[in-house]
Amino acid sequence: MDEKTRDEAAKDNFRQEPKVGVYVCHCGGNISDIIDVKAVAAALARYPGVAVAREYAFMCSSNGQDLIAEDIKNLGVNRTVVAACSPSLHELTFRNVLQRAGVNPYLHEHINIREQASWVHKFDKAGATAKAIKLAQAGVEKVLRKDALNAIRVAAEQRVAVIGGGAAGMRAALSAAGKGLEAVIIEKGPALGGKLLELGRLYPSGEEGAAVAGKLEALVRADSRITVHTAVDIDFVSGFVGNFKINFKKADGRSEQVKAGAIVMATGYEHYKPAKGEFGYGEDANVVTLPEFIALMKNSPAGRLALAGKEIKSLALIHCVGSRQVEGVHKPQADGKINDYCSRVCCTAALHTVNQLKDKYPGVRVYDIYRDIRTYGMQHEEYYDKASKDGVLFMRHNEADQPVVASDRTGHTVKVKDVLTWGEELEVKADLVVLVTGMMPADISLIKSQLKLPSSADRFLQEVHLKLRPVELANSGIFVAGTAQYPMDVTEAMAAAGTAAAKAAILLAEPDIPLEPFVAVVDEHKCTGCGLCPPECSYDGALMMGEHNGKKVAVVNPALCKGCGACVAVCPVRAINVAGWTLDQFDAMVDAIAKE
Amino acid sequence: MKVNPELIDEIKKYGAFDISACFNCGNCTAVCPLSKEDASFPRKLIRAGHVGMEEKINSAIEPWHCYYCGECSSTCPREAQPGEYMMTLRRYLIAKYDITGLSKIFYKNGWLQTWLALGMLAAFYWLYASYTGDFGALAGKIELAFPVYVTIALGGYIVNMYRHVIVKPLGGIKASLKPAHIYETLVHGFTQKNFNGCEETDWTRWIAHLLVMSGYVLTLLISNLHLLSPLDDHYGAFGPVSLLVWYAGLAILVGGGIMSLRRMFKSAESSKFSHPSDWLFVVTMFLIGASLLFTHYLNVAYGPGDPLLAKVYRFNIAIETVWILLIVPFTKWIHIFFRPLAVYFQHVKKEAEAGTAFTLSLGK
Repeated sequence: MDEKTRDEAAKDNFRQEPKVGVYVCHCGGNISDIIDVKAVAAALARYPGVAVAREYAFMCSSNGQDLIAEDIKNLGVNRTVVAACSPSLHELTFRNVLQRAGVNPYLHEHINIREQASWVHKFDKAGATAKAIKLAQAGVEKVLRKDALNAIRVAAEQRVAVIGGGAAGMRAALSAAGKGLEAVIIEKGPALGGKLLELGRLYPSGEEGAAVAGKLEALVRADSRITVHTAVDIDFVSGFVGNFKINFKKADGRSEQVKAGAIVMATGYEHYKPAKGEFGYGEDANVVTLPEFIALMKNSPAGRLALAGKEIKSLALIHCVGSRQVEGVHKPQADGKINDYCSRVCCTAALHTVNQLKDKYPGVRVYDIYRDIRTYGMQHEEYYDKASKDGVLFMRHNEADQPVVASDRTGHTVKVKDVLTWGEELEVKADLVVLVTGMMPADISLIKSQLKLPSSADRFLQEVHLKLRPVELANSGIFVAGTAQYPMDVTEAMAAAGTAAAKAAILLAEPDIPLEPFVAVVDEHKCTGCGLCPPECSYDGALMMGEHNGKKVAVVNPALCKGCGACVAVCPVRAINVAGWTLDQFDAMVDAIAKE
Repeated sequence: MKVNPELIDEIKKYGAFDISACFNCGNCTAVCPLSKEDASFPRKLIRAGHVGMEEKINSAIEPWHCYYCGECSSTCPREAQPGEYMMTLRRYLIAKYDITGLSKIFYKNGWLQTWLALGMLAAFYWLYASYTGDFGALAGKIELAFPVYVTIALGGYIVNMYRHVIVKPLGGIKASLKPAHIYETLVHGFTQKNFNGCEETDWTRWIAHLLVMSGYVLTLLISNLHLLSPLDDHYGAFGPVSLLVWYAGLAILVGGGIMSLRRMFKSAESSKFSHPSDWLFVVTMFLIGASLLFTHYLNVAYGPGDPLLAKVYRFNIAIETVWILLIVPFTKWIHIFFRPLAVYFQHVKKEAEAGTAFTLSLGK
């Protein structure tokens, strides 16, 4: 264990006689329009242990914060309860007030009387007021029992490991290096560039995919802070935030290890491969996927589009192949699931390709068969616009009425029950059928199982919160960039990669990573060493049986513990507590609320 | 149904170049005041064009109902000009129903018809001017020949339209004999009352249209019944025939003048696009009105022997000749007849669906 914990010299107020300050916030009417805040303050002022109780229009404003700081200075308040909005909004604000005033910041309790009282009991003002009083009193009981805590600090490797050397991986490494960190790219394939190398012209810039990859690679190779490993196989990944170890085998058989403080998962996607017989794929040479068609068009001479010597004068595109699948209509994939997600980029990619086709071979008839067109990106609608003005005939089917491809010597006949032609079954003749296939996440099951990475129902890696923490995985120190997360285009993947690198750089900005102190703590005197708790722990290595003073006890690794409390629940002798959320505190809160 | 992508390319040769931009949202149908359950357009006709439903297009009567108020075009989010598409379908259908095939050639070749009209005008004027006999008598014969020619031309169209609209899709000869339907057909034909169905009725356009139409029908009567003999008789300014002539000439001049100005300044959706044949139509009509008025004025003021009158009258007959020979059978002129016919055919279709139509069984 190479992390060290460091006790910062925070002022130790908790041995003094507790003096609680209670502050009731009006939230500019959000609370005070329903709750009688004066009554709440008055009731709390009489409550045992409370030195002062006040109410104010906006506690979070600088005037409100000063109110608390002055009470700490003048009245000797050493614990605070703020009854206001949600703790996720302002708990940190008030912890910082305490810290600035020289009180341990964890001797604060944030009570939510907005979401939990005024907003939900609009039509029962008296009831809401009574509830707010109870909640605040429980807060007082809790804060009276709080201990001064200190953030856990973990020493971190000043290095970012980027798994995957495609567009997102290279971008993430460049951004991390740009912020002064070392970056290591670990790529499975023989070259950098990933799927970029296969793509033709990229929308919206029109550059060749390979050219973009080349530019990125040149920058990567020129940066002395970036190390590149290609053609390697990762065989073991372990560790925790600040201290990850990635072991891999190189092409020559030698093994190597990279130590990193943070990991960026830029593992990318695979094209959906249609099942044999899906719209005739694999049975007829003239049924191809969009990536295959892009390659075909790239290699076709101007003036004549041909496949295996036969000229192609008409083609039908079928959208959503392998995407937005419907239970009961589509066959499940190998793992028994259907791909019910939208692959997002295929509509624009298909229309962008059709535009190029129409420019190169204006005479080719194009039929575009879709369920919905989702050209969602900036100016992507113009591809649809151009296609329709160029005479591409669009046909739309319902999810239950999939198009049917029949083939004979003269070519293909595609039958579509066209919603736009009032449900009429239309038949088009096409020399070539192009299946617009979507994305599936690349196979990273080994890394996923070893690091216990979360993935969503559609098998892509899942972020903590799509809006608030869009590139962070639940595992601290591991970030996601690009199509490993969900289908996205190169532009989006690059942006995500920059964000992931920035997040990694923030994490590694100091040599020590501060972690919340809310982790499990074992009372070694009470612990009987029964061994019930380790099997309950979901985080590898966070809780194990060990020895202390010759006695078998449970031992917690605070860097890995998430403070979930699963171990607390099974301990028969109350020997484990989560710091800041102890069983004694909960008991006292429940008693306060239940008291008549 | 087999998709035929060639059809829309063919239709586009008659105008409506932006119609491929349509993505079938249906806003046009929603705002169209004339689009009802039994006549839903323009969306369906656009889609029928896109996928190549030739029979549906060929039997369409909706284009004749449309007055081109322009609501659809100004509402279209794709700027696909659905209103102009309806006008284009009229041209396409006229060409389709025309037995000679000349309309098709004229529509597709821009100004060809106009050049031909100019050439014919010069030729006929020269012919009439160099005629040494009694031109008044000749003019009488020419004017009496007009209705015969027009009837033959029109007959061909009506038979063809009936074949495409009723016989083919309904599988036989069917008719509606309800007096109410026949009456309504006539009312629509003469008053164009569906104009009022257009929201925010464009009154200038309606008045211009009514003036031109009534003036034109009167001119038709005056010439086809040979009511005027300006080289032989001297007319008083307020005689019954004169009153007719004053009204007919002025109505055409004012109405045609308004229409030309609107086309020139593209003041409304309906006048944004002008096919060359639209110009030829309006300008020729204007010239007929002007020369008729001028002829009559000279006759009233200076008597039948006036030398200028002789020239102007020859010009009047020459341009009427061109009009009858070249413009009447091969431009939208015929929509005068198609519009009431469309109203009538709609009744026939409805009755055929209900099984109450008069049916003529041939054999079987």
